[in-house]
Amino acid sequence: MFVPAEKVSMTLGERLSAAVGVRGDRSVEAARNTGAAEGTRDARRSGPPGVRIRDLSVVYRTAAGELPAVSGIDLDLPPGTITGVVGESGSGKSTLALSLLNAVQPPGRIRSGSVEIDGLGDVTRLRGENLRKARGRHIGYVFQAAQNSLNPLKTVGKQLLDLGRSHEIRDLRGLVRDAKDLLGRMGMDGARVLDSHQHELSGGMRQRVGIMFALVLNAHLVVLDEPTTALDMITQATILRIVREVHEERGLTTFIITHDLGVVAEIADRLAIMYGGRVVEQGPTTEVLGAPRHPYTQGLIRAIPRLVGDLGEARALPGRPPTLGTVPSRGCVFRERCDLRMDVCETEEPPAVPYGEWIVACHAVAARDAETREEKE
Amino acid sequence: MITGQHITKTFRQRGSVLAGREVKALRGVDFAIPKGGAASFIGESGCGKTTLGRIIAGLESHDSGEIIIDGTPMSSLRPRQREPYFRRIQLIHQDPYSALNPTRTVHQTLDAPLSLRAGQTGRSRSWVDGRARELLELVGLDPGYVLPRYPHQLSGGMRQRVVIARALTVDPEMLVADEAVSMIDVSLRLGILALLKDLRESLGVSVLFITHDVATARYIGDDGELYVIYRGQVVERGHVETIISDPVHPYTQSLLSAIPVLHGLERPGEQRVTPAGALDESRHDAGCLFARRCPFSTGRCESEQPVLGHGGDTPQEHACFHPTPRDVVAMPIGRS
Repeated sequence: MFVPAEKVSMTLGERLSAAVGVRGDRSVEAARNTGAAEGTRDARRSGPPGVRIRDLSVVYRTAAGELPAVSGIDLDLPPGTITGVVGESGSGKSTLALSLLNAVQPPGRIRSGSVEIDGLGDVTRLRGENLRKARGRHIGYVFQAAQNSLNPLKTVGKQLLDLGRSHEIRDLRGLVRDAKDLLGRMGMDGARVLDSHQHELSGGMRQRVGIMFALVLNAHLVVLDEPTTALDMITQATILRIVREVHEERGLTTFIITHDLGVVAEIADRLAIMYGGRVVEQGPTTEVLGAPRHPYTQGLIRAIPRLVGDLGEARALPGRPPTLGTVPSRGCVFRERCDLRMDVCETEEPPAVPYGEWIVACHAVAARDAETREEKE
Repeated sequence: MITGQHITKTFRQRGSVLAGREVKALRGVDFAIPKGGAASFIGESGCGKTTLGRIIAGLESHDSGEIIIDGTPMSSLRPRQREPYFRRIQLIHQDPYSALNPTRTVHQTLDAPLSLRAGQTGRSRSWVDGRARELLELVGLDPGYVLPRYPHQLSGGMRQRVVIARALTVDPEMLVADEAVSMIDVSLRLGILALLKDLRESLGVSVLFITHDVATARYIGDDGELYVIYRGQVVERGHVETIISDPVHPYTQSLLSAIPVLHGLERPGEQRVTPAGALDESRHDAGCLFARRCPFSTGRCESEQPVLGHGGDTPQEHACFHPTPRDVVAMPIGRS
């Protein structure tokens, strides 16, 4: 794989090449349109799948023993929605995304928990050919730095045919037609793009090619890892609009991983904020952004440079995000940088407390909430 | 004071496929960055902003035009004679992960340029160590913690601060920060921006900030000038707050419209502008370079080239035949 110099610091997930793809036999093509599906496994797949992640923990083996990158995560992706996960480096967000495909690579492993995908079952239990086929039929994945993960020596069209062959698709013409449709849908000249090498395409175009690869085999669950990193603002806005449109047109369940709260704010229905391997706050996007409860979410929003308002209002969060080796083994993972820190934060991990659809894991928030409830009574 | 007059640069591509194709990276750019001042170059990828930054830092040649540093035109000097001028302009680039030698501790990284300097000015060994500590404190790092460490032991934000400290070893007059915060964790970005602003105030260093994110440009100083660059041409230029609150060029408006809206916290501007298509250097345009993508272009825009000026009595300069302020910036929803 071609790795340009500025990407040398990429992590595991980022190094995986191109879009893993994503659907089985072309004979499903006709069946798809009538709503029927092939085989028993696909029987329930008439619409976008829902995903339920339960108590998921992923660890990486290091010289210092097995360290958790993701700890006890509960997260639902309701069918047909766009869910965004926001986190800084080392928050475990890419590891979480890889878990959805059961693609965590050694020295990492899923230690416990489950990822239930409608029509697929618990993907953490799938192995070998079953796993490959499951990925093949259900889940489209656009990896981080997808714009640098095309094969520089082959045209996009050749890579598309490779993808088709590896998924035993007989109707390659149909596949090419679908790819052209998708590319056209995203505002590109499909035939020209398929005839191009990666160096002939701009960053934004390559990113769209990555999305095409993830969708062309007709997956209904799409995972996008940092879909707009390294793109400029105008291209980012275009890509986000395309993701939203394709999501609605094709009836997808979409999962977006990003470090940029703005990206999630722009297109996600629901958002989850990750820190130190935990989801610290999750809920409907506009509500969470309008009145964030977790001190980390509040700090993150305050740290975004804005176009209007007092320059002094925006402030960097003190301290720095924890890494695999520095995540506290007990207590709240955010306490080092927290203004609301209490004694209990040192020793006990804050439980995730639901307030309707909105879930927050913070001792201080829970305590304040209990107080206001007492006052009311 | 560093000024540029009508800087042009054309890249000619080589190789069997693209041979002979020309990309006009800069088409006659004028700029002036006063001592201790701040300026920002804004534009999308491929607009020429990085090339201009590299030319200013003396790392790239230009085809025509003049760079004048403190009254001395650089074209009158031989390359060796230019060196001391360009040494005073230090480039901080995007990626703090590749800017530092991974086999050297921070101490070694700072020691080399400082020792060289001490040798030239007859200063002692102890000055070198003292100065290294002083610079690290200046950029907000704990010398005791950082000095013995290798780059991989530091976070992105800390590394970028080390890069800045290293740039300061030569007492520069200007820092050219090319996307200097785009690879830093979001919660730490403002810290780096605040540092650049502090250095301007405490050391009188001028800062040239190159970015595609207009919002970050505000944070290196609200007295700064903004240059909006499109296909190698400045299309709007003026005071940063003026351009953000009342942009008149449709391209500037497109850049501002593209900034994600924090729904729930902000309401989007009502006249957001979306440009058609993407930047395409292979096209030749007789008129305004943005006309093909501009939703408001007229016949005149396609045949005649607008020139940067105060047409329509705007406070900022712009290169547009139809300067019209539009409501494109997201505003915070009033707290109820």
